[in-house]
Amino acid sequence: MTETLGAPPASRGAPPASGGGEVRHPGRRPLWLLLPGGLLMVVVIAVPAVMAIWMSLVALDQYSLRDWLGAPFVGAANYVESFAQGRVLHALWVSAAFGVLTTLLTLPLGVAAALATQTAFRGRALARSLFLVPYVLPSFVTATIWRTLLQPSGAVNNVIGSLGVDGGQWLVGSRTFWTLVLVDTWASWPFVYLLSLAGLQVIEREAHEAAALDGASWWQKLRYVVLPYLRGPLALAAIIATLSHINNFTLPYVLFGSPAPRPVEVLPMLTYSTSFETFRFGLGSAMAIVSVLLILIPLLVYLRAVRLDTGGDGAPAPRAAAAGRGVG
Amino acid sequence: MISRRSAIAALGTGSLLAVTAACGSSGGASKGGSGGSKGPVTVLVLKSAQYPDQQKKWFTDTAAAFMKETGASVKFQTFASGADEQKIIQTSVVSGQGPDVYALGTTFTPVAYATKAFVTLGDKEWEAVGGRDRFTPATLSMSGPSKTEAVGVPFLSRPFAMAYNTELFSAAGITAPPTTWDELVEDGKKLTGGGQHGVAIGYADNFDPWKFVWMFANQYGDPLVAKGKASIDDPAVERAYQAYFGFLTQDGIVDPDAAGWSNPQALASFADGRSAMMPMTGPTAIPTLEGSAVKGKYAFAPMPTVPPGESSLPSGGKPATTIVSGDNIAIADYSDNKELAYAFVKLVTGAEQQVAYTKIFGDLPTNAAAAKEIAAGSKLLGPILEAGAGAVPTPFTGAWSEAQLALTNVVVQSRSDLASGAVPPDALKSRLAEAQASSQQALDRAGSQ
Repeated sequence: MTETLGAPPASRGAPPASGGGEVRHPGRRPLWLLLPGGLLMVVVIAVPAVMAIWMSLVALDQYSLRDWLGAPFVGAANYVESFAQGRVLHALWVSAAFGVLTTLLTLPLGVAAALATQTAFRGRALARSLFLVPYVLPSFVTATIWRTLLQPSGAVNNVIGSLGVDGGQWLVGSRTFWTLVLVDTWASWPFVYLLSLAGLQVIEREAHEAAALDGASWWQKLRYVVLPYLRGPLALAAIIATLSHINNFTLPYVLFGSPAPRPVEVLPMLTYSTSFETFRFGLGSAMAIVSVLLILIPLLVYLRAVRLDTGGDGAPAPRAAAAGRGVG
Repeated sequence: MISRRSAIAALGTGSLLAVTAACGSSGGASKGGSGGSKGPVTVLVLKSAQYPDQQKKWFTDTAAAFMKETGASVKFQTFASGADEQKIIQTSVVSGQGPDVYALGTTFTPVAYATKAFVTLGDKEWEAVGGRDRFTPATLSMSGPSKTEAVGVPFLSRPFAMAYNTELFSAAGITAPPTTWDELVEDGKKLTGGGQHGVAIGYADNFDPWKFVWMFANQYGDPLVAKGKASIDDPAVERAYQAYFGFLTQDGIVDPDAAGWSNPQALASFADGRSAMMPMTGPTAIPTLEGSAVKGKYAFAPMPTVPPGESSLPSGGKPATTIVSGDNIAIADYSDNKELAYAFVKLVTGAEQQVAYTKIFGDLPTNAAAAKEIAAGSKLLGPILEAGAGAVPTPFTGAWSEAQLALTNVVVQSRSDLASGAVPPDALKSRLAEAQASSQQALDRAGSQ
């Protein structure tokens, strides 16, 4: 009894004495504390993921839905069918192009807005708040607003019509892809702005002063002082943004409806239509798994980037990584 | 003092218990007959966006009438859209619990039938819901694949007809609504000019386009789907699509903006007097029109039965104008309140209730006596009911939702061509081939069940 009571203060006292987690042995970490969280992860992530994989291997549709456990096993047939149709490949291409393009467009916008509000001026707080409006609006609202604005005789066409240009159809045909890119750019650039703003706070005043003393021009300061600092946050922003664009379902669904015009038939739309409109849950799951594989590419890049980042920070990182491997 | 939180908790538990009671209480006590199970029977219906308050009142009134009749209560649950309803049905079918009674769209009934999760109505069940004889015969044709395998009881009818602007018609010297589609085009040309167009069509609607194509194809003699075979790549179907697009691209009687219109936008064009005719509309448009610039200046007529480019119905063609459209009621086979559910269906398909429903919501009765009463009392609704009596059922197969989606998709993918003024025959052919392939594949899966 006394021993157990006595033990904690000793271990609590240890870290300040020697600094860092040096004395602790990995084996004695209270890993069981991870249990509740871990269980939750299993229920929320692992179980549905396993279900999705299982569903992608059976013929689950309107005929077998009722007795879904008995749905006939068809192996890779759903995968074969989804690729044989050609629509999945097309959707993969549209999703990737849409995700990357939108990210490329939002990067300069976000950085410019962050730079513009970096130094104090009258009304800066207001400007900063206004910049966040597109980001805080629910996707559904954004899409509904733009759907209204982009009608053939909507506000957008009225404005460019007054300049003598015929706006034409925004929600129909091949232009839909660009409509989707532009609307999503409008909705998501504040995310890049936020991360850039955070990055800018890190730059020491001395760096600015030194550059000023050296007589650096505005462009040189941006190129050689500011942007190198922003590289980390922007890389992170680019990867997370691309992932969320590829995953965006609400925007194309509300803007164009289902079935989607072919130029905006992104993977989430195709998966939705297949699963919930034609009841082919097996085929839809196979498509969802393919989506996950697509998402995995930027995700792996991201994870790798994060690890390299900690690696660059200082000595402890590689050891922590090694220890992690040891435990695993 | 009961705190608000515990009151809410009690409510929550109550509804939870209702659900559990509805799905798990089949133990030993239930005897059948309305005395055996005391409900409440849960009914899933579409939330009325147009009449939310009236719908609430209808819920209360119907529940009171049901209580008087059976001594049991009824609980209404609503869904916001077709997609919402499909999700509820999908989860209920998988979990074997949920609402006892469902209002299902007629074209969705075949899919619901395919899930085998709804009660098949035999003689006993039909008797319990008031008998087949009380319904307008055409409304029964989407109840099931055959007379003996019905799952849906006709609840509401929403046939499609054509609205026309009587003032613009007489100004143009047109005395009667057209009876062939070529006549409609001629009239449309007379009515086009000065910013006004002859016809309003929602080419970007999620449902209207396939109904037009289905109508023309049937009039040409191609049923699209029959006996497990799709015939979407047939020249007749291509002709149907080209005629449908041609109103805008060839005949110029439709506003070019219509390539991006949904049904409400097309209706708005008619309601403003910017378009003189609106085919493929029905009773649910009346509330909008009554509050619009054309109030008192419009009438309905059944759509023409002679297809575009023909002077009489081709041999093998069907004078189809409207699908059998509306809602059926189906009863979940997991329900432990079946007797009460039958009693509920009997109540809401009775003549008195159906007339009252039409007066509130505009959907037309499936009950024959009620339909007669409504037709006699309304000049507007008479022609719509006439169209409904001649309605032709869509193919009753579990593959229909896929075929329907494929037919719609052809229009979706053609809309950019439509907006630019012409749909190239080759592009249309390849889209039709794709629709044919996916529909046939769906039919093959349906056939192997």
